[in-house]
Amino acid sequence: MVGGVYALVAVGLTLIFGVMKIVNFAQGEFVMLGMYVSWMLATFARISPYPGLLIVGAVMYALGYLVFKFLIIRVIGKPDEAFILLTLGLSIVLQNLVLVIFGAEYFSVDTPIKDKAFHMAGLSLSVPRLIAFVVALLMVTALTIMLNKTDLGRAMRATSESREVATLLGIDPIKCFTIAFAIGIVLAGIAGVLLTPMFYVFPGVGTLFNLTAFVVVVLGGMGSVPGALLGGLIIGVVEALSSTYISLDLAQLFTFLIFLAVLFLRPSGLFGEAAK
Amino acid sequence: MNPKAAKFVLPALIVVVLAIPLFVTVPYYLHIMFMIFLLATMGLGWNLIGGYGAQLSLGHSVFFAIGAYTAVLFVVYKRLTPLVGGVIGMALAVVAAVIIGLPCFRLRGPYFALATIASGEITRTLLLHFKDFTAGANGVPIPFHGNDPLFLQFSSKAEYYYLALLLLAVVFMIVRTMERAKIGRYLAAVREDQDAAESLGVKTAWVKMAAFMLSAVIVAACGVLYAFTVGYIDPDSVASVDLSIQIAVVVIVGGIGTLWGPILGAAVIVLLTELTNMYLGAVRGGASLVLYGILLIVVILVKPNGLISLFDRFWPKKQVAHGTTA
Repeated sequence: MVGGVYALVAVGLTLIFGVMKIVNFAQGEFVMLGMYVSWMLATFARISPYPGLLIVGAVMYALGYLVFKFLIIRVIGKPDEAFILLTLGLSIVLQNLVLVIFGAEYFSVDTPIKDKAFHMAGLSLSVPRLIAFVVALLMVTALTIMLNKTDLGRAMRATSESREVATLLGIDPIKCFTIAFAIGIVLAGIAGVLLTPMFYVFPGVGTLFNLTAFVVVVLGGMGSVPGALLGGLIIGVVEALSSTYISLDLAQLFTFLIFLAVLFLRPSGLFGEAAK
Repeated sequence: MNPKAAKFVLPALIVVVLAIPLFVTVPYYLHIMFMIFLLATMGLGWNLIGGYGAQLSLGHSVFFAIGAYTAVLFVVYKRLTPLVGGVIGMALAVVAAVIIGLPCFRLRGPYFALATIASGEITRTLLLHFKDFTAGANGVPIPFHGNDPLFLQFSSKAEYYYLALLLLAVVFMIVRTMERAKIGRYLAAVREDQDAAESLGVKTAWVKMAAFMLSAVIVAACGVLYAFTVGYIDPDSVASVDLSIQIAVVVIVGGIGTLWGPILGAAVIVLLTELTNMYLGAVRGGASLVLYGILLIVVILVKPNGLISLFDRFWPKKQVAHGTTA
């Protein structure tokens, strides 16, 4: 079920990649920021994570917008390396800025439903995980509808197909990039909120998701929203199975082996359109 | 560098660097210099593939870890001198470079970077998993038997300082020779346009592999030296993604695809980190890394050719010849 959360992190990443053709190495850090905002709301304003979703979403949108306007926009059109390194630098700054401000302590958010679980056919399913999964599913559906049915979504897809042609058709590619990037960050933030009832909040938590999110995105096909959902679920299952039946500390190994296998055998992923 | 400057600046620099341990005996300062030399050497090695070949590798910790672990485990289990164990480690690093390179060089752009990160993480996971052999997360301390050059053990820091300096000088000369030899031009061709290079008869796969292998040997040698200087290794210190990233960042901050860039980058980054730790470390951890990240971002946005390009006007010709279009 943690696969649902992986999917949510990955959907944000894949949206940014799909529209802008760039990989955001700081995605995990935005998840971490979402967790901190959610924790602050819970601790200082007594707003529990789920109603706080909207506030976190708004905060993350603003943050994504600012990051785009001040940093990302300057490397558009430059080689991939510039973008990889820029977002790597951003991830180092964010992670350590949080460390400087909040220290290295582990925080946790208490919610009344934290330890509740459904029991069904011998399986137990914790409520926060179920909520995370359902919200992930809703977000992916909403995103798919937006991409396919609204003018903005169509403009984004056109930009992703060909920036030049989109410009000729009167679409402002920079505007599309801005919105896609900001939405990608919002999705990361929402994933963070959904994670706070299950995970400790600490500065390095984002790195746990960064690499996994890449794996999920590549597995599903870079830029494919349903692919990210399916990839997230597959990786969630793989991790659960390998840590239960083989060895807890080898769970990550299998994730990475799958990742390499997909990269080498089918770089376009399960749903990708011949990308290389 | 124009001849005039080279005549004075370079010899003066060499004399100063050689003389430092005669006057400075505080181990901490010597260790800072040691780290600058070591990172500069790794940067020069990384630059072969990451800079001259423009293949952004974020997995060089694999080679560092292989060098360090091979040499240390041979000492621990077989009491074999690291002078031999280190060479075996460097050979294994070449094997690893082939295993990683063969499939990864077919990938381009972000895919290559991601695949090298995954290779690094797989190495770290394996080191953590095979606890009986590698001691897992506990790490391996190297038993100290007093001064013993054969086992790279010295009671003062100065020996390590000179060893690192020697390694840096040797690698510098190797890279300088390569830069001017055929393979350097081939690499430049791969960097500018891989497809065009291929169509002109450059065996791009072979060129990249050769550069990658050499770069692996250099970084593995650094791993060996690091292990015996610090006297202890664990997966987090020698096989982390952060290390891989740091090797790349040193070169990018200094000047990618240049000979002096990695050295400048190593000096700037190590001094920046140590100074902030010294003055701000007591307040909060993390401050030095914030500055390190900001430095990387600023360099990418403002000086994509690295800090070395600030010196361009002193020796304009040389920089053009190396063509550092990032």
